Amino acid sequence: MLHMKNVSKVYRTEIVETHALADLTVHVGRGEFVAVMGPSGSGKTTFLNVAGLLDTFQRGEYLLDGTDVRRMRDSAMSRIRNRKIGFVFQGFNLMPDLDVFDNVDVPLRYRRLPARERRERIERALEQVGLSSRMRHYPSQLSGGQQQRVAIARVLAGDPALILADEPTGNLDSVMSHEILDLLERINEGGTTIIMVTHSAECAAHAHRQIHLRDGRMVEVDEPPSLVRGREPGLAPGLG
Amino acid sequence: MFAYQLRIAWKSIRRNLGHSLIVAGGIALGVAVSTLFATVRHSYAKDPLPGKSDSLFYVRLDSWDPHQSYPGDIGPPPQITYQDMAGIMRSDIPTHQSGMFKTSLYVFPPDASRGRPELEQIRLCFSDFFAMFDVPFRYGGAWDRKADAGPESVVVISEEMNDRLFGGENSVGKSVRIQDRQFRVVGVLDHWRPGVKFYDLTQFQVQAVEPVYMPFNWVRPMELRTAGNSDGWKSPSQFGFAGIFGSETAWIQMWVELPTADHLARYRAFLDAYALEQRKAGRFQRPLDNRVRTISQVMADFKIVPEEATATMMVSLLFLLICSLNLIGLLLGKFLARGAEIGVRRAMGARRLDVFVQHILECELVALAGGAVGLLLAAGGVELVNLWTKTMFQRSDFFQVDWAMAGFATSAALVAGLIAGLYPALRVCRIAPAVHLKTQ
Repeated sequence: MLHMKNVSKVYRTEIVETHALADLTVHVGRGEFVAVMGPSGSGKTTFLNVAGLLDTFQRGEYLLDGTDVRRMRDSAMSRIRNRKIGFVFQGFNLMPDLDVFDNVDVPLRYRRLPARERRERIERALEQVGLSSRMRHYPSQLSGGQQQRVAIARVLAGDPALILADEPTGNLDSVMSHEILDLLERINEGGTTIIMVTHSAECAAHAHRQIHLRDGRMVEVDEPPSLVRGREPGLAPGLG
Repeated sequence: MFAYQLRIAWKSIRRNLGHSLIVAGGIALGVAVSTLFATVRHSYAKDPLPGKSDSLFYVRLDSWDPHQSYPGDIGPPPQITYQDMAGIMRSDIPTHQSGMFKTSLYVFPPDASRGRPELEQIRLCFSDFFAMFDVPFRYGGAWDRKADAGPESVVVISEEMNDRLFGGENSVGKSVRIQDRQFRVVGVLDHWRPGVKFYDLTQFQVQAVEPVYMPFNWVRPMELRTAGNSDGWKSPSQFGFAGIFGSETAWIQMWVELPTADHLARYRAFLDAYALEQRKAGRFQRPLDNRVRTISQVMADFKIVPEEATATMMVSLLFLLICSLNLIGLLLGKFLARGAEIGVRRAMGARRLDVFVQHILECELVALAGGAVGLLLAAGGVELVNLWTKTMFQRSDFFQVDWAMAGFATSAALVAGLIAGLYPALRVCRIAPAVHLKTQ
């Protein structure tokens, strides 16, 4: 699903260069649930941004679902983000002046789907996250856990092959966190690849394997055997 | 998608209503000033007879002094002589034609209760005047060609004159005394308010149309002289009133209607033949220079649009530009402040173009609101200008905000919105989504 080889990303200012990603090589197979861990400043979010085509990189090779994204035009990247990738953010990132229905509708609008199909997808996604009854509520009327479930419904409605989650439980209490992680696990069981950035070892334990980053490099791959399930046979577990 | 983006833009406007009002206010100010001055210029420049202006022609003949040209840079004299009017009106090529001039005479109310006699502007013309210029009638109509030849004692009066003399009722058939003669009213004009008094551009062209019209041929029996300009280069050979008819003094405006290019070509040839014939009789010794010009051409020849009006309009457009430029920073701040939302939309698949269109739409919606307010302010300003010029123009309706000016205000607002919003919208749509998301 995702193949990065020797990818480098450098942030430059007039006085300093920061190597956010330094020759990072990562392979994530289709249907995997991978946790990306590391201390602050290790390049986790940069990795996620590059992986999600939200940011560019200077060197290296990146194949997403077999497509080389290196020299892709903005419109093509937008199309891939819209059709193949779903984002779950720590801060939920719902539009405050759109109700739940319209928030879930956002990626579908950019896919230019007919109204009827959009409605069906939205209703189905909200049903999956258990928020069918809150369709006309605004984000401010929902709890943190509910907001994150709306954000996940927004992803589900688009039916992406890859979900990138950046600290999805970072703003939630432990009960809500479990709910969200269970939800992500269920989604993964349906075949969707998930890459989740987290600080929490407890959260990471829900993943098939963990990738540890430091200074923009992969330093460790940890694969708890007890949690590995349903992976496609023959997929490389880590370094490519 | 467009409707969706429009909806998102509208929500954003409502979310930041105070900010949106400030932007709309800036554009309203610019649009108001530019529309006001554009209206002033437009009132001079607009086509006074849409749909017909290309088939009506003003005739000028160069019967001037063989030794020097007519003063100024306008070519032949602006009017023609009586003898030339009589000569060229023999042509049957024009479908309508009329020589005309303006005089001043006392018009007496039918009874003392309707006020005192007043000196009024009276236009002497041929019956074709009314058909040629599509003059609207409320009661009756124009006199006929038999009345031209007579001349018969008939007049057409304006609606204001009819209000004053007859209390607004149908006065056709009633009698009105002009100087020492009685005239029968054959027609009352309906509301007729051409902007520039296009049929007589030789003198203060913004005045209202005359309140009374009578057959041209009353010029001799009543010994009427022009109350407008007259130009001469040679003393009349005969003294007294009769002398002006055979003189080289030009005091008549001459209009013809030539509906096709063929009519025009034949009429030009006719005029040249007329001038050459006159040359044999000792007149028209200058190089042939007969002008047959459309209304818009003759308006340009006589420089009807004051240069000051054009200059002030240009300055007002600069003011609108400055208003728009000043709003760039305000809009940029607003758009950048919503970086997180833009980042999320980009993450969800919005293209740069989608983000750009959404923000430009927002600018244009605000600009349209500003434009509407600006148009209302401009309309108020135009009324003030009309009040200010009422005494000078002897009318209070010369400057008008019409549909063309409403279109101008709308276009100006849209352009102002585009100028103000282009850079901010381009800027936010070009920022990498990750950068927007960092701002949350």
